[in-house]
Amino acid sequence: MGSDIFEIGVNFIKMVLIFVMMVQLVPLLVWVERRGSAYIQNRFGPNRVGPLGLTQLLADAVKFLTKEDFMPERGYRFLFLAAPVVALIPAALAFGAIPLSHPIFVEPFEWLGQTWGPYQFDFQSYKIGIGIVFVLAVSSLAAYSLMLAGYASNNKYSLYGALRASAQTISYELAMGLSIVGILLLFNTFDFSEMIRLQSGPLSFHVLGTVYTFDFLPNWGIFYQPLGAILLLAAMFAETNRLPFDLPEAEAELVAGYHTEYGGIKMNMFYIGEYGHMLVASGLMVTFYFGGYTLYPFLTPGTVSSWFAGSTPTMTSVWTSLILHVVFLTKVLLFLWLFIWVRWSLPRFRYDQLMDLGWKTMLPWALGNTIVTAIVIFIMRTSW
Amino acid sequence: MIYEAISFYALALFLTFFAYKTISATNPIHSALYLVLTMLGLGAVFFSLGAHFIAGVQVIVYAGAVMVLFVMVLMLFDLKSELQAFSKGMLSGFLKVFSAAALAGVAIGVISHSVQVVDGASWGVGDPNADVTKYLSILLYTNYLFAFEVLGVLLLVVAIGAVALSRMKGGTHADRR
Repeated sequence: MGSDIFEIGVNFIKMVLIFVMMVQLVPLLVWVERRGSAYIQNRFGPNRVGPLGLTQLLADAVKFLTKEDFMPERGYRFLFLAAPVVALIPAALAFGAIPLSHPIFVEPFEWLGQTWGPYQFDFQSYKIGIGIVFVLAVSSLAAYSLMLAGYASNNKYSLYGALRASAQTISYELAMGLSIVGILLLFNTFDFSEMIRLQSGPLSFHVLGTVYTFDFLPNWGIFYQPLGAILLLAAMFAETNRLPFDLPEAEAELVAGYHTEYGGIKMNMFYIGEYGHMLVASGLMVTFYFGGYTLYPFLTPGTVSSWFAGSTPTMTSVWTSLILHVVFLTKVLLFLWLFIWVRWSLPRFRYDQLMDLGWKTMLPWALGNTIVTAIVIFIMRTSW
Repeated sequence: MIYEAISFYALALFLTFFAYKTISATNPIHSALYLVLTMLGLGAVFFSLGAHFIAGVQVIVYAGAVMVLFVMVLMLFDLKSELQAFSKGMLSGFLKVFSAAALAGVAIGVISHSVQVVDGASWGVGDPNADVTKYLSILLYTNYLFAFEVLGVLLLVVAIGAVALSRMKGGTHADRR
């Protein structure tokens, strides 16, 4: 919250802004997805409404809002209406806990005849010490929206889609949870900000108690945990229910899966939830394995703030945070493009292949990664 | 302090309501969903007490894994006949009252015993900057190591048993001579 009205106000506005930012990225991502898929498949995509088809999404939004509000007659009304809302909540909550940039430090200043004391505003909706556990906990609730939608629609295809979706989500959650244990052991923290701070220096390996430093490489998790990064990325694809893991909505078998009966703005909310999950997944990948909002030799909190040596400490802090935020956004957008690229490049798995991959391939590899990492860290960090 | 009290009593009110709806809802899926809300509320209570790690684990394990499986399996069943058998009749009513009373007894016993055991101050409870996760893991790997490992073995046995049962022809109803 905050100690006085200014801090509480800024924190509240910040929460709203970050949520709005997440929701507003969705139409842009839909545009990128449609244009990108068209580019990959040698088509044009939406290019008539506005420059480059950019206002197509505005037209779509009007269409979504004015569509008939359909309700299956024998479904469960409350659950049917609750499911799209539940789809939106986990992604929004998880995204709020990921630090988007360096905290802003505000020096004491005079305003309205009063001195407002020094503040520190984190560039995220709320800061929780065990951020990683919180994000995992919240995103594990995403399965409910699919199940509620499938059950409340009172439709066989919806129910099949919901069952497939929940089975898939549960299976890949194990691999996802285990794949990040290695990076947690390595950086020895549950806190996103601390993890990013540790990744903002030069790459330094511990070998039998002595430290070897490589000045030209950043200290990113990907150099220690390449297997963990690949497993996490694959599990994230499954968690977001996108191709090649989009069996819950395989149209040739299940019409449209759990959202067969949904239309208009309710359907749109499922989309926002899905893209929100992509955003959270990309944010987690960037934070765990690619240095978060830092880019070691050039753009770290130290180097960027030295560019603004002449200005006041508050303005230096603000500009530093904004520039580092652009770094974070660039990395996240690269991962989002990867999500879209993969969707239009790979075919869908068969169901038994999906289960085999989750349980017989990814889970053992993730377990092995955890055990090997623990042993190696123990040996390498002990001075013999 | 006053905000903490308000949030605690609001949570307690919601929790009691959800727990009541869990046992009073006639549709099993609705009942399971109320149980999910109860678990989430419990997570929030842990969080408000400063046990952030336990709150996260509570949500991951119970709301995110166990209850998802519950709801999924319940969706596969046709529970109309069970529904009628359990929601009507003197016998089931008596059973309900009896089990509620037994559970209440257990809860009262646990609370009255645990109040003396808990000594929050020595473990930094109430200090917002204390690393509760670290204390918890130190406790788990020193004082309660045996119980912790035995629980792990128990879970392993359960997992092996489940695999063995699922591979047996006919499952739990196999005809073994």
